[in-house]
Amino acid sequence: MRGRIVAGLALLVIAAALVLALRPHEATAAERVDRITSELRCPVCQGLSVKDSPSETARQMRDLVVQRVGEGKTDAQIEDEFRASYGEWVLLAPPLVSWNGVIWAVPILALVGGVLVALRRMRAAPSDLERPTPRQLAELRERVRAEEAADA
Amino acid sequence: MSAGDLGAAALRAGVFLALWGTGAAVYAAWKRDGRALASAKVAAVVVLGLVGLAALSMMFALATHDFSILYVAQNNARETPLFYSIIGLWAALEGSILLWTAILAGATAFVAFRGTAAIPRLGTTAVAVLFAMLTFFLLLVTTPAADPFVRLAFPPDNGAGPNPLLQNHPLMALHPPLLYLGYVLTSVPFAYAIASLILGEGGDRWLVATRRYALVSWALLGVGIVAGAWWSYAVLGWGGYWAWDPVENAAIMPWLTATAYLHSVMVEEKRRLLRTWNLALVVATFSLTILGTFLTRSGVVNSVHSFTQSALGPILLGYLVAILVVSVGLLLWRSGRLQDRGPVGTPLSREAIFLFQNVVFVAATLTVLLGTLYPLIAEAISGAQLSIGGPYFDRVEIPLALALLFLMGIGPQLPWHGASRMTLERQFTVPLVAAAGGAVLALVTGVNGLPAVLTYALGAFVAATVVQEFARGARARGILHGEAPLTAVGNLFRRNGRRYGGYVVHLGIVLVAVAVATSQAGSVDAEKTLAPGETLVIGGYTLRLESLRTVDEAQRSSVVADVLITGHGASEQLHPALVQYPNSAAAVGSPGIGAGLRDDLYTILAAFDQRGFAWATIRVRVIPLVSWLWVGGLVVGIGALIAGLPAPRRRASAVLPVAEASAPAD
Repeated sequence: MRGRIVAGLALLVIAAALVLALRPHEATAAERVDRITSELRCPVCQGLSVKDSPSETARQMRDLVVQRVGEGKTDAQIEDEFRASYGEWVLLAPPLVSWNGVIWAVPILALVGGVLVALRRMRAAPSDLERPTPRQLAELRERVRAEEAADA
Repeated sequence: MSAGDLGAAALRAGVFLALWGTGAAVYAAWKRDGRALASAKVAAVVVLGLVGLAALSMMFALATHDFSILYVAQNNARETPLFYSIIGLWAALEGSILLWTAILAGATAFVAFRGTAAIPRLGTTAVAVLFAMLTFFLLLVTTPAADPFVRLAFPPDNGAGPNPLLQNHPLMALHPPLLYLGYVLTSVPFAYAIASLILGEGGDRWLVATRRYALVSWALLGVGIVAGAWWSYAVLGWGGYWAWDPVENAAIMPWLTATAYLHSVMVEEKRRLLRTWNLALVVATFSLTILGTFLTRSGVVNSVHSFTQSALGPILLGYLVAILVVSVGLLLWRSGRLQDRGPVGTPLSREAIFLFQNVVFVAATLTVLLGTLYPLIAEAISGAQLSIGGPYFDRVEIPLALALLFLMGIGPQLPWHGASRMTLERQFTVPLVAAAGGAVLALVTGVNGLPAVLTYALGAFVAATVVQEFARGARARGILHGEAPLTAVGNLFRRNGRRYGGYVVHLGIVLVAVAVATSQAGSVDAEKTLAPGETLVIGGYTLRLESLRTVDEAQRSSVVADVLITGHGASEQLHPALVQYPNSAAAVGSPGIGAGLRDDLYTILAAFDQRGFAWATIRVRVIPLVSWLWVGGLVVGIGALIAGLPAPRRRASAVLPVAEASAPAD
């Protein structure tokens, strides 16, 4: 019983921590720049984001993002501006248009489908697993005694 | 006769012997003929000797700068230091395939001697499969597409030298061979699985025979991936270690399916379930190694690793298709004999958690595969150019990774068949308290974001279950055998290495997860143009540019910035540089890294005043806990080693089983 109370309290603490971690907060300009630049592809690198790339081109793109954030543009407006000049290619996570939904749907479908198939192969939890009957317990005790006697 | 002639001749002789070996092994398995088997064994050893000789010849040619060989002329220069000359064997495509062939020849010879003694018919059939694959690779290295010994009629005075990124760090000596060993060793479980299907054995003997190969190849892949991440961190100069680059994806995919397999195999051993599934995972793992090689070596996808494009692509694709057709055909043909006996336990049984874990691993693999291939598919269908990178993979893979951490915490704590409420309470009270502690720790230390807080909570949860297992096991041994705690833990490793080594692996994974979560969530960067003597402040550290200087070496020249970083009680001098190699137009950045148990200080010389060294632009990133990523990789390797070491023979003892049964998990 005590164990159950302790476990319950621990779960409460975890839930509280997660709520705290999720609390909404106004993103600072620097955080917004980081977020936007991490979504943009550095055009002269091999798949690095503008945020990560040490290249000169990426530096210029970063400066532009800083400028646009300063001008009060929204994230979407800034991303649209880059899409207009570089094409869809500049976004490292393709937007949900036309067939691109496939890449988001397949992981989810694989997961849900897999879990369903796995569950179908499982037994329902039988209630008699909860606690052994007194007779089973007596039998087990008897077996342990016999084995201990054999050892000695 | 030059080294090149010797190597080329050895490979060509190897083709014929491998063909002979294939035939002999097939005949030996078919007719149960001992003399044919002996002949196959001799052939295996001789082929290994020949391919080994070819690899050594190539190393010798590289070390002596024999530019009459095209490969040497392209990947070596007179100025290349001896160390980087020798490891030039895996600096480009042809040499890498030669190394691959040599490892495969080693595996074939090893199985020919060890495997055929243990289970003669199954082992011999597996040797035939391995020989067939070896023949394919030998044919490959003797066709123009991948012949490493192609000669030049007019040798140049000096070679082009290795790719600058490949001669910048000693980890290059470690990371590719480890990965190749891991890749190639997946062939052994695959060969046994195919052999078992061909022979129509319903049993699980193939699985017992290849358990250790699977573990070793998995461990080498894992350690090789971490070594690769470390190399990329130390060389590529952007302060990260993983970019979801196609070649990284190619390495992680077989590792993911191999991890799934190592767990589901236990379900088959204990419960005789999931037979078809395990065979499918082995086939998938092996096919993914070939697919990865095809993707990254044929130039169909852009990657930092696609150094060359060659005619190899279509050949590898054909090989892959052939493997898939044969494997799937065999699986369908034999599926009737692979029926499972009985259902899986309840959703709260250990086998059920393994099953869920397998589902998550397969979903994670599919995601990586699709994310890597989708840009190709989209372009082929609609001509649309699009990118799939970090943001996509992070969004899908981080939740999956967190789910895996959770399953890793509960799986080993649940009994087979099903758990009672009493068991749940007994197993999870302490870990739940630890998880609460982990979550609070994350908040207190300012690690931000839901994924990071969850990683801390789940990491603490897993770590507590592992500690609890060790404590209970050691206490049981203390009571029954009167052993001191440390001796008891040693004996747990020795007597049940697979289980307790597995727990050590889990601890290593926790370290990796915490290091990744913290370094991703908590990195801060800054960039500033400084004159010597000026400073910049970041994350409690003060960076001062001391001086700029040039360093000239035979094979390269560099501009080095000396910076002094002080803060948090530490003081360290770092030397980020821009390195100019003669064979590369642009200078290569070489980061200056101050590694620490708390923070890594990662400095890059981004630009400098070319005329008078009056200023330099320094980029600095403070990356918390990233060192623990490499430590975690090492712990995973050590755990795998413990799990793979042979257990001492069990005494016939009535006491021991009781001792181990006292931990309810087994």
